[in-house]
Amino acid sequence: MKGIFSVLVENKDGVLSQISGLFARRGYNIDSLAVGETEQHDMSSMTIVSTGDQRTIDQIEKQLNKKLDIIKVRRLEENAAVIRETMLIRVAYNTTNRSSIIEICSVMGAKILSMTQKCLLIELTESPEQVDNFVEMMRVYGIQEIQKTGAIAMAKK
Amino acid sequence: MNGAEALVKCLEIEGISKIFGYPGVAIAPFYDALPDSTIEHVLVRQEQAAGHAASGYARISRKPAVCVTSSGPGATNLITALATAYADSIPVIAITGQVESHLLGKDVFQEVDMRGMTESIVKYSYLVKSADDIPRIVKEAFYVAQAGRKGPVLIDIPADVQKAELTKKFVYPEKVSIRSYKPNTKGNTQQMAKVVKAIKKAKKPLICAGGGVILADAEKEITAFCEKNGVPLVNTMMGIGVMPKEHPLYFGMLGNNGKPYANRAVAMSDLLIVVGARIADRAVPKPENLEQQVSIIHIDIDTAEIGKNLGPTLPLVGDAKKIFRELTEADIHLDTAAWIQKLEDIKHGTVDHRVFSNDLINPMTLVQTLSEKMDEDAIYVADVGQNQLWSADNYVMKKGRFLTTGGMGTMGYSIPAAIGAKMCSPDTQVVCVCGDGSFQMSMNELATIAVNRIPVKILVVKNTVLGLVREHQNKVYDGRYSGTDLYEYPHFESIAAAYDMKYFHASEMSELDQTIDSFLSDPGAAIMVCDVDRDSMVI
Repeated sequence: MKGIFSVLVENKDGVLSQISGLFARRGYNIDSLAVGETEQHDMSSMTIVSTGDQRTIDQIEKQLNKKLDIIKVRRLEENAAVIRETMLIRVAYNTTNRSSIIEICSVMGAKILSMTQKCLLIELTESPEQVDNFVEMMRVYGIQEIQKTGAIAMAKK
Repeated sequence: MNGAEALVKCLEIEGISKIFGYPGVAIAPFYDALPDSTIEHVLVRQEQAAGHAASGYARISRKPAVCVTSSGPGATNLITALATAYADSIPVIAITGQVESHLLGKDVFQEVDMRGMTESIVKYSYLVKSADDIPRIVKEAFYVAQAGRKGPVLIDIPADVQKAELTKKFVYPEKVSIRSYKPNTKGNTQQMAKVVKAIKKAKKPLICAGGGVILADAEKEITAFCEKNGVPLVNTMMGIGVMPKEHPLYFGMLGNNGKPYANRAVAMSDLLIVVGARIADRAVPKPENLEQQVSIIHIDIDTAEIGKNLGPTLPLVGDAKKIFRELTEADIHLDTAAWIQKLEDIKHGTVDHRVFSNDLINPMTLVQTLSEKMDEDAIYVADVGQNQLWSADNYVMKKGRFLTTGGMGTMGYSIPAAIGAKMCSPDTQVVCVCGDGSFQMSMNELATIAVNRIPVKILVVKNTVLGLVREHQNKVYDGRYSGTDLYEYPHFESIAAAYDMKYFHASEMSELDQTIDSFLSDPGAAIMVCDVDRDSMVI
């Protein structure tokens, strides 16, 4: 199963390494981890997505709660939260396939940020599943590079 | 007032009267401030011993104790002791010197990333960046070390911060406010009600008490609950001392190396109440089997212990002392006479088939005789290895304490821990029992004992081998012994003489009684060696 954790932490040095170290030494997966400052400069917010069985996901929540620099841990249910990921992807094109790429972008709500004679740089902000879907669709055209932010998530209420 | 003086002042305010340490350049400002204080410094002979001594001290005082080292190798030598304290949840405050702030990250002489290295073996750590932060950090460190589940806290403090003058007036905070840390000590009312209901229904309840009960200072409360409701009790190795051995409701230590009847009791119970125990592999090798056999209530101060090694249980998070006070007052009336009688029958029907050489000392009789002769409230510190398992199995617990490192199993723990225990409680008899292997891991500390005139008794169970590893090689590797022979060294009598300690020796059962009497009645520090056959086995 998937565990999505929204974690509020002290904005101090070493906190990220404490959390990644915790996952590493206890053998928990990190599918993605995104971190940024909140509206209060002394707090950061992290979204951590992990997979494991029920017991592992429960333990992750408890182990995170034990860390003194972690202020709050919230576990988000996929259907009760909005999950988004931003991807930058550079794809090669030629005159024959250009319009079909542009069409896919338009359907998927992706933005073309830059266009050169040989490649397109595209931005997509969507759910992680849709982002993966988009990657699959671009594969046939020739993906040159991908950068992803990792998922960020927020409860609907 | 500079940072070092502020640090010393904070320790005084926290009531610290003794610290264990080893100086170096990076902690020199602190050592310069120390002689002007009321704090007595005990110089150990290697930093690891400072950590273990603080651990022994903390376990007896039931409050945080302090150890101090310099940076680099001084600090890394402390790491094993911190891991040990962490595994056993002992509130140790470790203060380590660090290179000057502007040199951090430059790989200069004696620089190590102590915070990074200890991240997974301390409860929390600080790198002090400003002398003005010292009072707050020390206050927090003492709070964190003993709040909720206890554990070691590291304060890494660069030399320049120790030397820097405080820019604000020194004020020691009265309260701690850590927004991210508010441990829950009172059991949740709804959960509590469920627990009471489950106990009421039980026909064959059993308590399994771990080290957490002693850490919570809850021995009396749990015993009162057992006595009121006729609930029998077993313990883990760290839980030895929760009940005296002669208590009619006490049924021994469980686990691989425990009493067979204690394990039977666990398997036969219909409700197992686990308190302050992590249910690690040595206590319950296959927790998944246990989950299927009995219903389990799991009481712990640390939420993360619930469900970590043990599956579906009825959890109750909180302080064992408070919880058992409440449970004793709860409207529970059990009739367990038949259950207790059954356990009694099993206990008395258990025959020990182990055989020991008649030529030398029988280690089981040794521990029984020694502990029976010890004072009522004596402190027994067991090291690690066969000596530890013979000790745990045969110790006659009265009203004293049994200290050992059950979680980490750190050889060499007993001598420094005994030093700490004795310095905390000078009027209490302290006996340290180790093997000839573990003795040699800490025998440098005999100097600490001699210089400071610490009258601890050290009993060496000498079998000239690393007995427990050898036993493992005997059973698992068909007796292919590899790297486990210690031979006849050292000459213990010469070692004792080198440190002006009295020496006693028993190699035959006929002389055991009298030798122990003389050993225990000697007023000073003493070493007693008991020759045990190298083929003696624990199991």
